[in-house]
Amino acid sequence: MSAADEDLADFAVNRALASGASYAEAYLLNEKSSSIAIEQGVFNGAAATESSGMRVRLIKKGRLFTFSTNVLSKEGIEASLRRASLFKGNSIVLSREKVRRANYKAKQKKSFDSENPAEDLAEYDRQLAKNKLVRYRSMYLGYGISNSYFTNSDGTKIRATLPSISSFFSLILKSGSETRQRFLQYGGVGGYELFDLDKIGGEIEQEVKNLANVMSKGVSLSKSKLAEIRNVVVSPEISGIAVHESIGHPNEADRVFGREAAQAGTSYLNGSNLGMQIGSGAVNIVDDPTIEGAYGFYLYDDEGVMAGPKLIVKDGMQNELLLNREYAGMLGRKSNGSARSSDYSVEPIIRMSNTYLKPGNADFEDLIEEAGSGVYIKSFTEWNIDDTRSFAKYQGNEAYLIERGSIGKPVKNFSLEVSTFNFWKSVRLVDNEFKLYLGTCGKGEPEQGVPVTMGGAAALLSFGE
Amino acid sequence: MIPKEIVKEALASGFDEALVTRSNHTVCYLKIANSKVDSVVETSGQSGMMFLSSKKRVFFTNLDRFDSAYIRNKIENSKRLIAMQAEKKDYNGLAEGPFKYGARQKYSRRIENYTIDEIADMANSAINSALAEGAQSVAGTLTIGYSKDELATSKSIEAESRSSRLSMSLRAMTKNVALQQEEVSRDMDIDMAKLGKMVASTAAGVKKTGKISDGTYDIIYMPAAGGSLLSNINAMACAGSIETGSFLSGKIGNFVANRGITIYDDGLSGNLVSSSPFDAEGYPSQKTVLVKGGVLKTYLHNYSTAIKYKTKSTGNAGLVEPSPNTLVFEHRNRVSDLDKLISEVKRGILVSSTWYTRFSNYLTGDFSTVPRDMSLYIEDGEPKFAIRQTGISAMVGIRINDNIIRMAKNTLLAANDAIQTTSWDSGAYYVMPSILVKGVRVTTAMV
Repeated sequence: MSAADEDLADFAVNRALASGASYAEAYLLNEKSSSIAIEQGVFNGAAATESSGMRVRLIKKGRLFTFSTNVLSKEGIEASLRRASLFKGNSIVLSREKVRRANYKAKQKKSFDSENPAEDLAEYDRQLAKNKLVRYRSMYLGYGISNSYFTNSDGTKIRATLPSISSFFSLILKSGSETRQRFLQYGGVGGYELFDLDKIGGEIEQEVKNLANVMSKGVSLSKSKLAEIRNVVVSPEISGIAVHESIGHPNEADRVFGREAAQAGTSYLNGSNLGMQIGSGAVNIVDDPTIEGAYGFYLYDDEGVMAGPKLIVKDGMQNELLLNREYAGMLGRKSNGSARSSDYSVEPIIRMSNTYLKPGNADFEDLIEEAGSGVYIKSFTEWNIDDTRSFAKYQGNEAYLIERGSIGKPVKNFSLEVSTFNFWKSVRLVDNEFKLYLGTCGKGEPEQGVPVTMGGAAALLSFGE
Repeated sequence: MIPKEIVKEALASGFDEALVTRSNHTVCYLKIANSKVDSVVETSGQSGMMFLSSKKRVFFTNLDRFDSAYIRNKIENSKRLIAMQAEKKDYNGLAEGPFKYGARQKYSRRIENYTIDEIADMANSAINSALAEGAQSVAGTLTIGYSKDELATSKSIEAESRSSRLSMSLRAMTKNVALQQEEVSRDMDIDMAKLGKMVASTAAGVKKTGKISDGTYDIIYMPAAGGSLLSNINAMACAGSIETGSFLSGKIGNFVANRGITIYDDGLSGNLVSSSPFDAEGYPSQKTVLVKGGVLKTYLHNYSTAIKYKTKSTGNAGLVEPSPNTLVFEHRNRVSDLDKLISEVKRGILVSSTWYTRFSNYLTGDFSTVPRDMSLYIEDGEPKFAIRQTGISAMVGIRINDNIIRMAKNTLLAANDAIQTTSWDSGAYYVMPSILVKGVRVTTAMV
């Protein structure tokens, strides 16, 4: 990010104020990224890109107007400012926030330049090709670094440098006449150290082995047997997707108050039921952007607000919405730093970061023993949820019967199709271990995918009759 | 520098092939929330892409600027980086030109000259109309934009096109249901008040809600819902998908749909907003018969994958990987309209939109999807009530569990009401009528 570019951002803020805006901000972003893909052993090409651009957001008589461009010039900024109109519509007031000045950089132990990702990935592909259970395989590796500069008319100035890496593995396994698919993603905010192929390879090998076992030895439960199941132990992968879909999303204030109604949807929460009971007393759910190395890491959000952990659900009760300055302003509160944008060209909107079920006091063995009989779901394939986030399905991929307090035979056809409140109110015990899984979360129009993690602890759910 | 000059420069640097694009674009998103114009985001700029190959190694980079110093630096860096890559062993080169292209799509100067006030007035017209028809709340997105796109390759191809687009996605919510529809055009000719009236009056006309139980139902998918599901056929017919595991792998010549069904992949028709005279490598776009009489006829190819499969390109580049154009669905067995289609159903559900379609296995085509908006229970040929399994407003509370090939094979009938539309979840545009699918497994919310 050059000093000239930063001067241009400051210029944009000053010119916006001079044009009658009551608030203005500019966000400059430079992103360098590289990627490679291998499909069925064929190297599918490489890409290296670098893009820079600037977004200016301003409020003029309550109207929110955003423009962005990668053609950075004073003339272009002036022309865009002249287009901001006082359209007939919504009027917003931002929360008042502390003026911040900060430069921060995520830790990167191994630089990308000193490694040979293409060769590393190709070597791993050759190893995986030897596994006869893997019928189809494709893998992707992307890595890069983003530099941003945020400045606003309050006086906040934030510079951030965030290297990141993400690898994605798509597998279809075959055993006999049966097939199973599995998608796995690894990486985070940091350097090449987050692409540990020995560890990733070990995990994938175990996944393949376990799913082959499900295909060859798994039992399909009858309808009546499925109906009898009362106890379900969910792994961090399952609790993570449930946390993300049924707790994180409906606690985004813009959904609660209707701003995403035609895009990413609404929420079971509304202005009159905040603070409601969502889960049992064992349920505590956190969104924390400040976890070092995690894929959703940041220290200041894209409105220049300092980030920190948010306790969304406390002892089973809805506790804290994810807020940006618009909704904090509407509610008379302070923003909790949840505004993010996928790049400079789009508006910052309320997003999750690293969202998880907070660990409890139990050991995993306690969950299984306490369940006595039931099902343990370790991983999922398909999942979905309704517009209000009230009714979800998590289709088991690797799942096992729990018999006499121990993990038993694999199960082929178990899916947890359940209402949000029934799921979380049934949580009886929470494991003391913690694991996060990567994802890319979509929202908004145009749809913005932002990096997140989801996960937390395993849990025992005991459903009533 | 213009694309042709950049191609020349790249070849002079020693690359075997080069392809360069340049685009100047403006897009504006106007958001509607809580029955008001909420905010406006306008983005403009120039961008491009440079694709290079050398001894079967392929490499991409983006272009943010087009001055010669920047371009030369990009080419030098690309030379260094491509040397570090492995060969793409099945790469067979870019399409050999030159080509003649068909009719250009319509371009609207009115769209090019839009103002924020003008589109805000259009949005307010839709909102006011919907509220007057009984909507309690209105949400949506108006999108308007235009671009000039240029392409040149080292295979004697130089091409240029201009495109313009206006779309309005409007969701009207009442006490009982929500209903969303998107209309799209290449010109400034969407009747916003009519759209607002249509979605709101349909939603407001639903006076009764009720519950259903788990079971097997005949489903009528309205265009946004059916297209969202069946456009997976076009996506999974692409050669890249076939090679990484698709429910259409190895199915050419087999029945994959009802005998009455023809499915096209259309990249050419001028009225389609996702069409273009040429694909991403400059090969002429075309309307490809993908499924005819229920039988899968071809996969979708670019020039390189077509050579690998010993066939011709279908104009679906996607460099490296082919990508789908617009699904156009036709059914030999048609009734006049949606009401007639409903009258054919003994026990079923009319689904207006779905979202969160997820495949448990792309190789088998097993999926589930969630009806998002208005879903009407039908008995003896008549809608009885809007399904709402709980008291939560805007929640339908049912899930459809099916297999995409089973669904296509069980699509027995269509209405004569095809429209070009999309859904937020799908992102793809399609030309789709309402369709009737027999015997679909539906599960319901346990609350």
